[in-house]
Amino acid sequence: MSTTLDRRPGGSGRRWRLGLGYDERSAAILVFPVVAVLLVVAAYPILYSFWVSLHDIVLTRPLRRPFVGFDNYLRIFDDERFWLAVGRTTFYTVVTVAVTTILAVLVALLLNEAFPGQRILAALLLVPWATPSVVNGLMWKWIYDPTYGLLNALLVQLGLLERYRAWLGDPDLTLLLIANAAIWKQMPLAALLLIVTMKAIPDDLYRAAKVDGANVFQRFVHVTLPALRPGLMLVLVYETMISIRHFDLFLIMTQGGPGDASFTLSWLIYVETFRSLRFGTGAAMSYVLAMATFLLSWAVIRWLGKRL
Amino acid sequence: MAGRPVAPRIGRALLLAFFSALFVLYVAGPVAWLVSSSLQTEAQITAVPPNWLPPELNFGNFDAILNAAERQVTYETRRQGDPATGGFLPSGAANLIPSLWNSLTVGVWVAVLNLLLSITAAYAIAVIDFRGRRVTLYTVLATRVVPDIALIVPLFLVVRNLGLINTLGALVVTYLAITVPFTIFILISYFEGIPRDLYRAARIDGCGHWGALRHVYLPLSLPALVASLTFAFLTSWNEFVFALVLTQNVAAQTLPIVISGFVMDFTTSFSFVNAAGVIAIIPPVLMAVLFQRYIVSGLTAGAVKG
Repeated sequence: MSTTLDRRPGGSGRRWRLGLGYDERSAAILVFPVVAVLLVVAAYPILYSFWVSLHDIVLTRPLRRPFVGFDNYLRIFDDERFWLAVGRTTFYTVVTVAVTTILAVLVALLLNEAFPGQRILAALLLVPWATPSVVNGLMWKWIYDPTYGLLNALLVQLGLLERYRAWLGDPDLTLLLIANAAIWKQMPLAALLLIVTMKAIPDDLYRAAKVDGANVFQRFVHVTLPALRPGLMLVLVYETMISIRHFDLFLIMTQGGPGDASFTLSWLIYVETFRSLRFGTGAAMSYVLAMATFLLSWAVIRWLGKRL
Repeated sequence: MAGRPVAPRIGRALLLAFFSALFVLYVAGPVAWLVSSSLQTEAQITAVPPNWLPPELNFGNFDAILNAAERQVTYETRRQGDPATGGFLPSGAANLIPSLWNSLTVGVWVAVLNLLLSITAAYAIAVIDFRGRRVTLYTVLATRVVPDIALIVPLFLVVRNLGLINTLGALVVTYLAITVPFTIFILISYFEGIPRDLYRAARIDGCGHWGALRHVYLPLSLPALVASLTFAFLTSWNEFVFALVLTQNVAAQTLPIVISGFVMDFTTSFSFVNAAGVIAIIPPVLMAVLFQRYIVSGLTAGAVKG
C-alpha cells in the first residue's frame, strides 16, 4: 500500500535531483501562492484574535482595553459554563464523528460493490452533502416539529409512540437529534473520501486472502481496514475539525437550549463574544478550542499516518 | 463471478438489495419529505396526520418565489401574498433568486481558484523532498483549527481594508482560506498513492517538477481533482456565518443568508421555507449528478493500483 502520507518522498528519489537547490526552489515557487493567500486571509485573523485573547476587551467599555496576559485563559477555566460546554461538545463530537465514520465505511463498502443501480445510489449520496446547512437545519427542525413533524407522525402511525412529543424540547435528546442532522449531511463526503481510497486497493490482496481461506470479515479486518488508513485519516481529521467547532445547526435548531442542553463550546464562544460582548474571553475560549482541535488532529495523523 | 455457486450469489444480491434500500431511505427520505411539503399548501402541511404526498401538486410556493420581484411587499400588502403560502410573503422573497446567482458565482470562483492554488502546493508537499515539508503541511492545517466565530471580527477588518465589504470578492477570498487547507490534504494523500516509479520515469525523460505535475500527476488524479472541485463548491454553497457578517446587502448576499432571513420572519409559512430549501438544493444536486460519474465510476478506470 503506497497511499500513506508518511512515506518520505525522498528515499531513492533523492538520486534523481537535477542539481542542488532545484527541489527547494521548485517547492518554494509551488507553495508560494497558497502561502501568500493564507497569510492575508488566515494568518492575520488568527494572530489578531490571539492578540485579542491577551487583552481585556469588553465592547460595553470600549476605551479601556488593558493587556492582561493569560488572565483571560485562567478566568475561563474557573467558569462553570466552560466546563459544561466542554462536556456537551465532547459528547456531541464523539457521537457525530463515530457514527459518521462507521456509516461512511458501510456506505463505502456498499458503493464499492458493482451491482445494478450502484450509480444511482452514488448520485443520491451527494444529495445530503449538497444541502446547505441552513436548509439542513430547517429541514430536520421541520421533521422534528412537535405538531406537524414527520417523526411524530411516523412513530405514531407505526404504533411505536403513544402521543406526539416535542423532540427538540427534550434535553436528553437534543444533542443526539442535532448530531443526527449533522451526520446525515457529513456522511457523504466521508464516504466519498473512503471510496477514493478503496479503489486503490489491489484486487490481488483480496484474491490472496481468499486463497488463504479468509472469510468476508477477516478480509475486511486484514485487507480493507489497513488499506483504508489514509482515507480514515482524512475522514477523522476533517470530521473532528468540523464537529468540535460546529455552530450553524446549534444556531438554527436550538440556540443552546432547551435550558443548557445544547450549550456547546462554539455556542458559548458566540454568546460570550456577540451577546455579552466580552471579546477577550471569547477569543481565549476560541484558542483553547483551537488547541484541542489541533492536538486531536495531530494525534489522528500520528496514529493513522504512521510516521508523519 | 460466473463460476460461483448459485446460493451465495442470491445471498449477495439480497444483502445488496437490503442495504441499498436502507441507504435510499436514509439519504433520500428527509429530502423527499422536504420536496413533498414544498408542494403543499399551508393548510395541507399543517394537517394532522400529515399528507405524506401532496394531495395535488401545488406550485404556488415556487411561483411566489420566482415572481416575487414583481410584488411590492410592505407591511400592508404582505398579507396579499399567494393563498398557497398561507397568504404571507416574506419581505426578503424577492432576494432569493438574485442570491442564488450570487451563490453560484462565488461557488464557481472558489472551486476553480481553490484547485489551482492547492494543486501546486499539494504536489510540492507530497512529491518534492524539501526541508520544512512537514512543517508546511501542519501549518496549513493549523490555519483551520481556530473556530470561525473567533475569526469573524478580524476577517471583517481584513475585508474592509481590502475594500471588499459587500462584494462577492470578499466571500471568494474568505472561502479560499476555508477550502484550501483541506483540499491540499486530500490531494497529498492521493498524490502519494501514485507509484513513484512514474515520477522517476518522468524525471529521467527530462521533465522538471512542472512537467511531472502536468504529465504524470494531473492526468492520474482526475477523481481527486473532481472531488476537490465538488468539495470547494459545496463548502462555499453552504457557508453561513462569514457570509452573514461580510455581506449586508442584496448585491452580495448568498442563498443561506436569504433563507435564514425567511425563518426570522415569524409569519412565513413552512411550505414557503421548504420551497426555498428545495430551490437551494437543486443547483448543487444537478452539478453533483453531472460530476458523480467522474468521481465514482471514473475511479475504476483511472485508479492507480499501488
